[in-house]
Amino acid sequence: MREIKKVAVLGASGNMGSLSGGLFAQANIHCVYFARSLEKAQAGIEAAIGQARSDVLKQYLTARSYEDLEKELPDCDWIFEGLAEDMAIKKEFFDRVEKVRKAGCIVSTVSSGLSIHKMAEGRSEDFQKHFMGTHFYNPPGKLPANELIFHTKVESATRAFVADFCEKVLRRVNIITHDVPAFAGNRIGFQFLNEAAIYAEKYGVTKIDYLLGPYTGRALAPLATIDLVGLDVHKAIVDNVYANVKDERIETYKMPAYMQKMIDAGMLGRKARGKGGFFNRDENKNKLVLDTKTMQFLPEEKIKIDWVEKMKTNIHDGRYAAAIDVLKNATGEEAEIVRHFILGYVSYSFHRIGEVTPVEDGIHGIDRVMSFGFSWLPASGWVDLFGGPQATVALIEKAGLPVPDSLKKLPEGKLCRIRDITKFLNGR
Amino acid sequence: MSKRVYILGGYQTDFARNWSKEGKHLNALFLEVMDGAFAATDIEPKEVQTAHVGNFAAELYNMQGHLGAMVINYHKDLRGIATARHEAACASSAIATLAARTEIEAGHYDLALVIGVEYMKSVDSKTGGDFLGTAAWYEKEAKGVQFPFPKLFGKLGDVYQELYGLKYEYLAEISAINYDNAKRNPLAQTRDWYMNKQHACSSGEFNMAVGGMIRITDCSQVTDGAVALFLASEKYAAEYAKRHDISLEKIPYIMGWGHATAPLLFDDKAEEARELKKKGEYILPATRKAILDAYRRAGLKGAEDIHAVETHDCFTTSEYAAIEHFGLTAPGEAWKAIEQGDIKIGGKLPFNPSGGLIGAGHPVGATGARQILDAWRQVTGKAGDYQVAGAKRVATLNIGGSATTNVVHIIGVDG
Repeated sequence: MREIKKVAVLGASGNMGSLSGGLFAQANIHCVYFARSLEKAQAGIEAAIGQARSDVLKQYLTARSYEDLEKELPDCDWIFEGLAEDMAIKKEFFDRVEKVRKAGCIVSTVSSGLSIHKMAEGRSEDFQKHFMGTHFYNPPGKLPANELIFHTKVESATRAFVADFCEKVLRRVNIITHDVPAFAGNRIGFQFLNEAAIYAEKYGVTKIDYLLGPYTGRALAPLATIDLVGLDVHKAIVDNVYANVKDERIETYKMPAYMQKMIDAGMLGRKARGKGGFFNRDENKNKLVLDTKTMQFLPEEKIKIDWVEKMKTNIHDGRYAAAIDVLKNATGEEAEIVRHFILGYVSYSFHRIGEVTPVEDGIHGIDRVMSFGFSWLPASGWVDLFGGPQATVALIEKAGLPVPDSLKKLPEGKLCRIRDITKFLNGR
Repeated sequence: MSKRVYILGGYQTDFARNWSKEGKHLNALFLEVMDGAFAATDIEPKEVQTAHVGNFAAELYNMQGHLGAMVINYHKDLRGIATARHEAACASSAIATLAARTEIEAGHYDLALVIGVEYMKSVDSKTGGDFLGTAAWYEKEAKGVQFPFPKLFGKLGDVYQELYGLKYEYLAEISAINYDNAKRNPLAQTRDWYMNKQHACSSGEFNMAVGGMIRITDCSQVTDGAVALFLASEKYAAEYAKRHDISLEKIPYIMGWGHATAPLLFDDKAEEARELKKKGEYILPATRKAILDAYRRAGLKGAEDIHAVETHDCFTTSEYAAIEHFGLTAPGEAWKAIEQGDIKIGGKLPFNPSGGLIGAGHPVGATGARQILDAWRQVTGKAGDYQVAGAKRVATLNIGGSATTNVVHIIGVDG
């Protein structure tokens, strides 16, 4: 019987390393936090303590610099890699890991989209047999999604152990995912985000985030989301998908040129203090919005569209069916944009069944990652709200979007398995 | 002998949800919980004849009164039914259940809807703490006091300490068990929180003392939530059983109930407790009376005849008191039951298999109804991972104020 008694966390000074490692410590498992210096590793420990809100974690966490890697790794049962999203860096560390890890030790990466198989290329049979992606979402204390991407050589007993451990001990919601660029969640989520950025060039940043805001089933509007994740991260994800994937809407994955100008100017979003991204603040903390044509920040313009406000009021009051009727029946260019995005998301999600997640999981794996990783209303939740598969197919056709066969073939009846999807519809 | 009143089932919202963050009005909580309850029981709105809403303080938290009338917003077929709202602090929805049961017993109606609801995350914790102070004698016990209720239940701990001695580790164990049980409950607010006895025993930045011996881990949560239950006469329940092809024996009913009120001021209770200790009696006489009345009405001898308890652990000290007041131990000896593991799932008499108020959450006006729904789940074998094996009779204790209003229900099933 496999037991996890000691875990090594590589890249423990970063957000994903420290907070993901903290989940092991919360299960009373001893973790060694590795970073470039002891101080950085210690900072990672503090972050894990903050996430758990308990000093008790201290006794399970040890800080080490990478100098001690060879000393600590031989008796580790799981090596959790949370280094920078750079294949060369990861490979450099896996070289060191391979030399000292004990046979059977699990090695997992928290990478958000790099190829698992490329990462393990040239490694020993035992390494490959125990290597996988465990893609947790940020912050893992709040978002429990875990994309599990197993190397093809991982045996079924190991797969079952890891899935069970992630679910029961680390309290993750597992999504079995194929080794494809950006995996499942980011593949679907960043299509929406990038297309929103494309539309922002024509319609303006304020209008796009107003139209596709939290009332459309997401915690944060899309351009504000890009600012949160960082434009550099956005670029890395969409460029990787655009270069390596062919799908029915791949043109929506091409990052708009103005975003490259933003990146060149250091406007990476929230992390670029002062430089901003799609949004910024002036010296009096007033919100500013980027004009993508002039690359200047302007004061935020207040937009109110009657049908949008009516839909929000219905959501606020808990009258969700009435809110969906408003969305279905609204007229004008703005209504078409909103329907294009929501139905586009549904269409894109159903098209990805079998490509990013196993066919036998149907839409449900994709639903889980979008709900528990992105906090977005899942695709099948929209299908239920729209009145079932055939009603949704009709709306997708009307919006001029590709109709997925997987949706067309579904029998009528409630589809979504995620509880309380109404929580994703925000009444503000 | 009074007529039987049956419980047909109900629905609970996910207590981890934050309805304010979702941008929702109190009306959305009503509509969702009713939607869930009608769907779960396969009852039609047109069948409901009376509705009772338990809520503590929507006037303060949400600037909304007249909650009985909000029920009607759900469906036009509800227009014209009788409605009322009941307030007894944290015991509000147990009181609403008593009122609905009485109406059915009296033969006025055959089907009643009971809703418990509280939407508390509309304000910051300091303001919310002040609102909760109105469940005490506000001017004397809460005005100008930050977080008055932890202090009042801290005083209950002080009384136990003075009269019998009380080691903190027993309170920590109560907290840890509730959190642990909550991890099995898919609707519990804290199901994904980090917690264990070590953390409960720790003190400092993450587990500050907030009132006497009460630390953060000894407190129930600030929670948004609602629960709906259907109560029915024997006539309706028999038809319902036939319609659903189940035996009437399988439908739970209210076997017994108790309802007793203590003086509002905690110091008056403490004075009485000291006198009762001298006589070797349980120190919260109203709590004990409500429990004994419920046993008597149910035709039960005592704790040995029930299989689980959903008790009011607004703080660990209130559960500590409940353990002995239910008669599981002699006065002053609750610690023995804790030490022996009697209150854990699988123990002699599990307390709060759902996680209770500390683990599952405490939307104050919804708690009494939530406890009864959990008792219903237990006796129908539908409690999932927190099922107490073989549970046929489960008691609930819902408390308002500092053990002021005490309401006990015993839910049982024959089949």
